[in-house]
Amino acid sequence: MEHSQPLGFSAREAGLKACTSCGTIQKIATAYPCARCGASVFSRRRHCVQRAWAFLIVGILAYIPANLQPIMLTRSFTGDTSDTIISGVFVLISTDSYFVALIIFVASICIPILKFVVIAGLALSLQFDWDMSEHTRHRLHRLTEFIGRWSMIDVFVVAVLAALIQLGAILTILPGIGINAFAVSVIFTMLAASSLDSRLLWDNKNEG
Amino acid sequence: MTTSVDHTGRQGSFDNLIACPGCDLLLHRQVLQEGEFARCTRCSDVVQTRKCQTIDRTLAAAVSGIVLLLISLCLPFLSLSRAGIESHISVLDAVESLWLSKMRWLGIVTLAFIVLLPLGRLLMLGWVLWRIRFKRKTRRGMRMAFRWSLRLEPWAMADIFMVGVVVSLVKVSMLASLHVGAAFWSLLLLVAVSIYIDLTLCKETVWNILSR
Repeated sequence: MEHSQPLGFSAREAGLKACTSCGTIQKIATAYPCARCGASVFSRRRHCVQRAWAFLIVGILAYIPANLQPIMLTRSFTGDTSDTIISGVFVLISTDSYFVALIIFVASICIPILKFVVIAGLALSLQFDWDMSEHTRHRLHRLTEFIGRWSMIDVFVVAVLAALIQLGAILTILPGIGINAFAVSVIFTMLAASSLDSRLLWDNKNEG
Repeated sequence: MTTSVDHTGRQGSFDNLIACPGCDLLLHRQVLQEGEFARCTRCSDVVQTRKCQTIDRTLAAAVSGIVLLLISLCLPFLSLSRAGIESHISVLDAVESLWLSKMRWLGIVTLAFIVLLPLGRLLMLGWVLWRIRFKRKTRRGMRMAFRWSLRLEPWAMADIFMVGVVVSLVKVSMLASLHVGAAFWSLLLLVAVSIYIDLTLCKETVWNILSR
């Protein structure tokens, strides 16, 4: 591994902008799409903080019914039961499947909440010029981008169970309305994380 | 790949510079040996790579990915038996039964993330690399196809689906006896192939060839 030699200032300060898709550099004033890959080139993605807030708010709002409404209905000859996200975790604990319970707890509860807090924190730190280490912010941003998709586990669990367990009167599993809300929440938080432009996180100091 | 590739087809005079995609720091372009990569000095993101035989390896992986995905669509990936009733499901059955049980939205999400996006991504990547490998003429659509195949990467969720399948196996193991089918293993291989594509695909090399 090598470290590239830095020039000591950003492309934006040099009056240049780099294509986010292929890395080609052009002058900021250039109005054309990237000559190499054809993507639109922005020095910083425009209104990206507002966009992140919009996606994030949808994500947080959808997360509320996702937790209150059942995500899965089990219909059997002994009666109907419905599970929410958290009661599903307790069911797994009661059957001694601690490891799987932990996976679901982390993916469906810890990761979403962590992401709400981190994305909101990053957006606020950009809006109010918080004095926060760029390295910390950068790492937090990469972390949210990386872990976001793993929240989809619960959606796929319900999809597989509902498709598989169709044994008529003996046992039938139906998806509940909560899982729709949960999927919406995960998708919109992923969009929120990816719409934040990480290059903005490094701008504050020099532009004051 | 020889270093001369790095400089072909570049327009403008910024060939010797790169801007870090993570933090926008301007850096001097390094001359890398095969297998080396360079990181940004400020945010430690990887800014330059040079991987060996990237076209051949990634093309092979993309083609096998497409085959594996098609296999896992049609064959059953789980079967269960309880009280004499057996049920087998393939990925398409799963989507169909969600569609029929008035949960269309969940069916569409599953179909999109497990089938359409991964397949679309592999087809675009395979097409671009195929034309490069067999020295066909570069078409305009290839740049867009490659751009989208990179952009779709986080939305192809076969790996997460597999964890979901394993969790559901545990969840119903006390209700019925379950068996994994051929499609389960081919999906698992698909996950491995996707990781391999991540490791061998050198975007810089492909962009340089496409802009020639």
